[in-house]
Amino acid sequence: MTLLEFASGPGLQWALWIFVFGITWRVVGAVFLLARKDLSKPRHRNTVRAGLGAVLSRSTPAHAFEKKIRFQHFTGYAWHFALFISVLFFAPHILFFKSVLGFSWPHLPNTIIMVTAIIATAVLIALLVRRATHPVQRFISNADDYISIFVVLVPLVTGILAFAHFGARYETLLAIHLLSVEAMMIWFPFGKLMHTIMTMPARFQAGTAFGRRGVKA
Amino acid sequence: MNTEAMSLQDFRDMLQQMSSDVAGRDLTDEDRVRRAKKAFAQKLNGHRAVDMDTCLQCGMCAEACPFYEATQDERYAPVYKFRPLRRFYRREMSPMRWFYRPFTRDITVADLKEWQHLVYDACTGCGRCDMICPMGIKISAAIRVMRHGLAGAGFVPSEMRIIRDEQRDKNTLFGVGPEQLKALVQKLGTQGINVPLDREQADVMLLTTAIEILLFPDAFAANAKILNKAGADWTIRSDAFEAANVGIITGDDPTMDLAVKRIVDKANACGVKTLLTPESGHAYQMLRWEGANEMGEPLSFDVLSMPEFIAAEIKAGRLNLTPQSNGASVTYHDPCRLARKGGVMQQPRDVLAAMGLDVRETPANRRENYCCGGGCGEFVLKSAAELRQKAFEIKKNEIDETGADAVVTGCANCRVNLMIGAENSGWDTPVTSLVETVAANLAD
Repeated sequence: MTLLEFASGPGLQWALWIFVFGITWRVVGAVFLLARKDLSKPRHRNTVRAGLGAVLSRSTPAHAFEKKIRFQHFTGYAWHFALFISVLFFAPHILFFKSVLGFSWPHLPNTIIMVTAIIATAVLIALLVRRATHPVQRFISNADDYISIFVVLVPLVTGILAFAHFGARYETLLAIHLLSVEAMMIWFPFGKLMHTIMTMPARFQAGTAFGRRGVKA
Repeated sequence: MNTEAMSLQDFRDMLQQMSSDVAGRDLTDEDRVRRAKKAFAQKLNGHRAVDMDTCLQCGMCAEACPFYEATQDERYAPVYKFRPLRRFYRREMSPMRWFYRPFTRDITVADLKEWQHLVYDACTGCGRCDMICPMGIKISAAIRVMRHGLAGAGFVPSEMRIIRDEQRDKNTLFGVGPEQLKALVQKLGTQGINVPLDREQADVMLLTTAIEILLFPDAFAANAKILNKAGADWTIRSDAFEAANVGIITGDDPTMDLAVKRIVDKANACGVKTLLTPESGHAYQMLRWEGANEMGEPLSFDVLSMPEFIAAEIKAGRLNLTPQSNGASVTYHDPCRLARKGGVMQQPRDVLAAMGLDVRETPANRRENYCCGGGCGEFVLKSAAELRQKAFEIKKNEIDETGADAVVTGCANCRVNLMIGAENSGWDTPVTSLVETVAANLAD
């Protein structure tokens, strides 16, 4: 079995299992720690609306805070958009998703994907540098913070190298790229990449809790 | 009105005399850690679990915290203030605990000692961090769980422990009990202000606080005047008048339950339809939003803060205020627990506007408002004096930017802290109370 055969065969299968089972385990586990029903008389009854409002509103900082978190705000947008475009609209990726999901969607030209991948990589490196140098971020950071950046950065870099056929044989680069994605999928449920799943529920629960009291979250 | 109040200096002297070195409970280190963990486990529900699992450690919360802003000390980043709780969650309660445990250090008594400063001195639970978190994490709720853990472990700071024990064991605060209330009521009677004390049945039950009786009796008198003017069928009970709850401040559940139950039971016995909280942010949070949960059933009456009551009475035409014609300007300081944590933001502004005052907003206001610096009972802690003053300076600068003639607030705790901060820094902007301003402008 070649490295590429392993990476695209059993390696991928195991990574997928750990990815899906781990996420499910963690979400179900948190849900089982159910919160007690709030018995206070709500100021507004439609807390679902407030919850959904918070899901959206937390994507933009409140006016009083905007100036202080501008860097994180804009790098956050740049990073997520560039990453999603690179992952979801690259033709070979769509072929892979079709093999798993059974359906596909239009792709973007490779040149655009390369630009977004380079932007995503650059932004992630900037965020890594900030984490290592900003007094607060450096102080509060733990291994998870760095591992989570690393396991996302490597697939980006190897993906760019594979696309550019740079540094090694294409098959080898592709195999390394696949393995790095699998490493990311395996780490996903254990670390803070889980925020991908947890952000919306967390924002929603904040929105409903504040909405109940008549405060826009 | 002219009711004799304790001077601010006497009150400060009294706080100074409170020992900051009272021996705590005689617990072994193991017991302390075990009791902290027990409290953590009791308070970690699904909401907090989602919060623990969602934090990105981005550190943005530091940018909202007045204590970090004032010191630039990274230990004061709100995310760090609940670090032991997160470690406990990861080791003992997370669905991934089997994975995290070998990599996550257990809590030690040294941690608890260190976090006593971070959680009591360097956090007033103002919740400004809750508003900036891009994940929507209720950071202040997590820090409050830390207070519960520290209270369980016997790490409540001495000054807070003294007043907690006083409330729990004697049902008094700062030595103020039924006799002091009765004396004030009697004095007001001689000034023609009727206070219907200890009625068996009433539609409205007013609460007050020891600080109001000691320092701000004019605010108490103002409440009485407003209720009388509005024609309310009201009472205040000498056996259940204290709205302040040292349990919520310290994180001590038994005291919190006792103080809430005392009021709710009496309100039920009196057939009360509306319970009125005085100028106290945390009393409103406790009774309006947490009272039912503490009692385990919905309350049979409404809980209103004085600004809500006054605004509603004006709207209903039962209370008329005289518009001022001197062009005086004020700014309103939102008490955190009344505004951000209570939803009472528009009503006080409506009331001020009804008096024709030029209401100017601080750059950060309403849900983004800065804390006075000494909320959640922090103003009693000697160890927090320097930090508190620094946080106050931020608020002071915000108020100065408005150019207003005076600052009005709706919380006696905020008022004391603003006055002490002002005295320390030689700041001469008057700090006044909303209800006193209203009482001075009641129209016939």
